[in-house]
Amino acid sequence: MTPAGKTRRRNRTGKLWRRVKRYRFIYLMTLPVLAYFLVFSYYPMALGIYNSFREVKLLGAASFAGLNNYRTIFSSPVYIQAFVNTVAVGSGKFLLQFIWGLLLAVLLNEVHRKAVRSAFQTVSYVPYLLSWSVVGSIWITLLSPSGLVNGLAQLFQGDSYRKIVFMSERSHARAIMIFTGAWKDSGYTAALFLAAIISINPVLYEAASIDGATRLQQIRHILIPSIRPTVKVVVVLGMMGLLRNFDQIFVMANSSILDKVRNLLYLIYNEGIVQFRIGPASAAACVVLLATMAISFTVRHLIRYDQLS
Amino acid sequence: MARKSSGLWRRNELTAPQKAVMWLFLLFVGITTFLPMWNVIVVSTTTALESTRSGIVLWWRQFSLEGFQYVFSVCKLGRPFFNSFLVTTVGTVIQVFLSSIAGYVLVQRDLPFRGAITSFILLTMMIPGDLTMISIYQLNRDLKLLNTYQGLILNGLISGFSILLMRNYFESISYTLSESARIDGASEMRIFARIYMPVSLPGLATVFFMEYVGKWNGITIPAAILTNENMYTLPLKLKAMILTTSSVSGTAQIPDNAIMAAIVISAAPLLIIYVFAQKFLLAGLNLGATKE
Repeated sequence: MTPAGKTRRRNRTGKLWRRVKRYRFIYLMTLPVLAYFLVFSYYPMALGIYNSFREVKLLGAASFAGLNNYRTIFSSPVYIQAFVNTVAVGSGKFLLQFIWGLLLAVLLNEVHRKAVRSAFQTVSYVPYLLSWSVVGSIWITLLSPSGLVNGLAQLFQGDSYRKIVFMSERSHARAIMIFTGAWKDSGYTAALFLAAIISINPVLYEAASIDGATRLQQIRHILIPSIRPTVKVVVVLGMMGLLRNFDQIFVMANSSILDKVRNLLYLIYNEGIVQFRIGPASAAACVVLLATMAISFTVRHLIRYDQLS
Repeated sequence: MARKSSGLWRRNELTAPQKAVMWLFLLFVGITTFLPMWNVIVVSTTTALESTRSGIVLWWRQFSLEGFQYVFSVCKLGRPFFNSFLVTTVGTVIQVFLSSIAGYVLVQRDLPFRGAITSFILLTMMIPGDLTMISIYQLNRDLKLLNTYQGLILNGLISGFSILLMRNYFESISYTLSESARIDGASEMRIFARIYMPVSLPGLATVFFMEYVGKWNGITIPAAILTNENMYTLPLKLKAMILTTSSVSGTAQIPDNAIMAAIVISAAPLLIIYVFAQKFLLAGLNLGATKE
């Protein structure tokens, strides 16, 4: 290396050092945040992956297990059933929430009195703010033998009605999870859609109505195409959340309906933390993580492809 | 008026039968959303005897606050409420402070390694906390954080999203302003506190209320690190209460009015925030969708 090159390099590192020194206070400010993420975000992630390849025993040292944990979960009927439950409840909830939210937004847009519209919006948004322990408790109580739902059914069917203990009825279990899930989140979906609908340029409707389009045709051919970006956002959000529904099942599941609604995250929690079978549970968590990433990647890819065409 | 009578404008309305269907649907949605919540409010403020009267309770026959008394005296809801309030408030305040600092760091244009720091922070948004639950449990066990307030506050203390939100707020502030202040000899702390903070109050409020709701509702972390009932937060306590009631067995141990009172108490802080800070809260929640 020529002497000139050496000096240039020394100058450059010297300059970098000077810049780093100038910002030393800023670095000091960042340190706690970076340390936090390292300990509470990256480390657990790495530990989870590491544990999924190990056999962790209650007593004695853990040993390397290769792919054994993965083999265990893929051949375990309990895990497979949890997967089926996750997809059944998750996709059902997403579909209902999507349709309910879209209809609510489109129809609220037709309500011209502002007070009525915002009353509807406010009320439908509240369940989204509440935690699953609140929403779950509300519905468990409403669906109990002395609850509102049985009361209404009795009102319509008369005295011959036999009360149903909804929460221990295996045939109703998934439907209840789907309905309450959509009940909680559709107001939020509607709010997202409504925000997109309101920002549509009214000139478009006027032009269409001059051309003789009815309101329904305007909704079909102007409104729906205009909110496509939001539809995509809602789909991506829904797909990413589909496999990760811990809170609802944690609060609402009980022993009589468990095999119908127990989903992957709830099973992972039970196996890993309560039963202390860390290896298989970590492996399952890794699979869910990979699946979530794959789904969101695929959906995003499809959407991008869709945008190009 | 003139607009309504012209044929052109009438075509911009749904036809009468369509409107009828529309109102039917809205009525249905309105009732299914509102009725359950109204039922909760009425039952929570009635007597235990009244609340066991099965069926449709949508108005008071006897107004009473004994449900609220019951949850505090018999179910000991005071402690969980205090726990939730403490960890949520302390956690949120620290989070707002640290998020704004990190956001401030990320807008320093000439900062060496800024790109690396940004990626390091934003990549954490890809790690879902609920999927690392088991490791979180192990970590907290090793750090002796199980069943402690520190554990409840520390886990999930900062989020990549709130930092991103603050960064976006700070980016709207002219960089030359802080640069000239720096040349005039102002310290970083001073620039941060005197130039960035005041302009970003709406951003701070957004992060505050959004995270407050999120932490108040959080159940994954408490479920993972708490076994001691004295440390239970409200969501866990509510879950434990509901488990011992009529849902499965058909015989109620805790009267319905007390359960409903506990629900009202758990939801009240959020409703207060929703009413008084709606603007900030919704801004944050709706931004959450666009981050994807």
